[in-house]
Amino acid sequence: MSLEASVSLTRGTLRLTVDLTLGPGATVALLGPNGAGKTTLVRALAGLQPLDRGTVILDGQVLEDTGAGIRLAPEDRPIGVVFQDYLLFPHLSALENVAFGVRCAGVARTEARRRAAEWLERVGLGDRTSSKPGQLSGGQAQRVALARALATRPRLLLLDEPLSALDASTRLEVRRELCRHLASFEGMRLLVTHDPIEAMALADELVVLEDGRVVQSGTPADVSARPRSRYVADLVGVNLYRAQGGGDRVVLPGGSSLHVAGGGEATGDVFALVHPRAVSLHRREPEGSPRNVWRGVAESLDLDGERVRVRVTGPVPIVAEVTPAAVADLDLAGGGDVWVSVKASEVEVYPA
Amino acid sequence: MIAARRERAGVPLAALAVALATSLFFLLPLAGLVWRAPWSSLAGELGNREVRQALQLSLVCSLWATVLSLVFGVPLAWVLARAEFRGRKLLRALTTLPMVLPPVVGGVALLLAFGRNGLAGQWLGVQLPFTTAGVVLAETFVAMPFLVIAAEAGFRSADQRYEEAARTLGARPWTVFRRVTLPLVAPSLAAGAVLCWARALGEFGATITFAGNFPGRTQTTPLKVYLLLETRPEAAIVLSLVLLAISVAVLVGLRQRWLAPG
Repeated sequence: MSLEASVSLTRGTLRLTVDLTLGPGATVALLGPNGAGKTTLVRALAGLQPLDRGTVILDGQVLEDTGAGIRLAPEDRPIGVVFQDYLLFPHLSALENVAFGVRCAGVARTEARRRAAEWLERVGLGDRTSSKPGQLSGGQAQRVALARALATRPRLLLLDEPLSALDASTRLEVRRELCRHLASFEGMRLLVTHDPIEAMALADELVVLEDGRVVQSGTPADVSARPRSRYVADLVGVNLYRAQGGGDRVVLPGGSSLHVAGGGEATGDVFALVHPRAVSLHRREPEGSPRNVWRGVAESLDLDGERVRVRVTGPVPIVAEVTPAAVADLDLAGGGDVWVSVKASEVEVYPA
Repeated sequence: MIAARRERAGVPLAALAVALATSLFFLLPLAGLVWRAPWSSLAGELGNREVRQALQLSLVCSLWATVLSLVFGVPLAWVLARAEFRGRKLLRALTTLPMVLPPVVGGVALLLAFGRNGLAGQWLGVQLPFTTAGVVLAETFVAMPFLVIAAEAGFRSADQRYEEAARTLGARPWTVFRRVTLPLVAPSLAAGAVLCWARALGEFGATITFAGNFPGRTQTTPLKVYLLLETRPEAAIVLSLVLLAISVAVLVGLRQRWLAPG
């Protein structure tokens, strides 16, 4: 079981060019900011949005090939979709919603209803079969939508922001539920989200989409250890710089530079990553071993759990993570000039 | 409450007076109808054979007109709402023209089209003018636009993403239409059908022009009312009351849709 898709299409200002491969039983999260083209990609795979160019091949079956003029209609693709706001048919009961796809596959009414009841039982809604979508909570509606998509026995399940329509208080529980149900589904899963926590909790591989292009992919650990875009760096909460490598230092676009330790792979276009925890702040010019020392202005403070994130502007804009005690000692609440120091060994460099 | 009261206080006295007079203008004729109604002989008048015949013919013809409007008007409304093609605005203008066209003109036009020597009539081989089928045709011509307008609005406002969801579940286009689109627009269709039926029931001008005035064949209730007014005014009033009652019932039935405040 595998999906190989090469998608190229233009829609309004969005130019989507994505190559995507899913292995058997994989759960892949498509992560990206709003407007990156995530939903458009889902619609393209489902057949709701024609490709300008490209191919979609599922388990060796060609679903779409613009070169060969092949394009299967959405109803002919073994792909299930859970839409962002679920789109349960408002005039049908939960049972009839789930039975809809089964009936479309040619199963008789009573048998379709029996199977639908089974599915609702499986997602814990055995007692809500006759409820109309309007009478269900957000979490329940999501489970009906999931059951409805799975009841058609798709080989690929597409989930478009499955948790975004829920309020924060129920999201955690619904996510745990979703995780459990996804695990029992043997096909491939592609999950669209703009929430990195959701992506990392539900997927074993991330694909980061920005402006219609894949900027990074890999396991959640890989992606968060070595971000390759500002978007991912911000999600993970680290300082990331595009730089030119050269021996024991990297040069930033503004002309300022950072000393690095080792520096073996630091040649040509590189990323330089500094964890906010590795950044020290001082009121006076520090003496000692750190090789990277510069003067900046503390601009803003953000409380992040037990730590305070201090945004410092200067030759190298950077975010430092310090304790509330340090904020008091350094009298950072009012902003002002600070000295920044970073050990060369704390600057991680990898090729761009 | 306070805001409402202040607003009401802001309405000029002159406007209130005009509004009152205008409401009398609408109310008085209806009151006259009810006041002059021969309540004691009501049952007898309704039992009259010719009156019953006219009512029955009206009912049958207007229901047929409604059915025909549904059968032909719903696909037309779907095309107007969903298809993109040149001349769509023209087509919509054409189908809504009977709403503003004087019914008599409609009747004349129908005669020229479907009459014995009409544009289509000479090829048709079926006698339409001055038959019950002609009544149905005239009523359909005049009433269908009411259905088309309501249905088109329904198709436009129905969220097409439900149809996409149905397709990802394996539904063929016809199944999507039957099991998703139609139920979603059912309230609009029902409202349109009721308006269409009410219009067909009251049709006078096109019917008398195209289908004539033959008792039992083409003489519908409005035609009968007009004739009775000369000979037996009480009977005309009784029939008018029946039509009034139906109109009120239609309004009450549609109040959720059109009489809701807001």
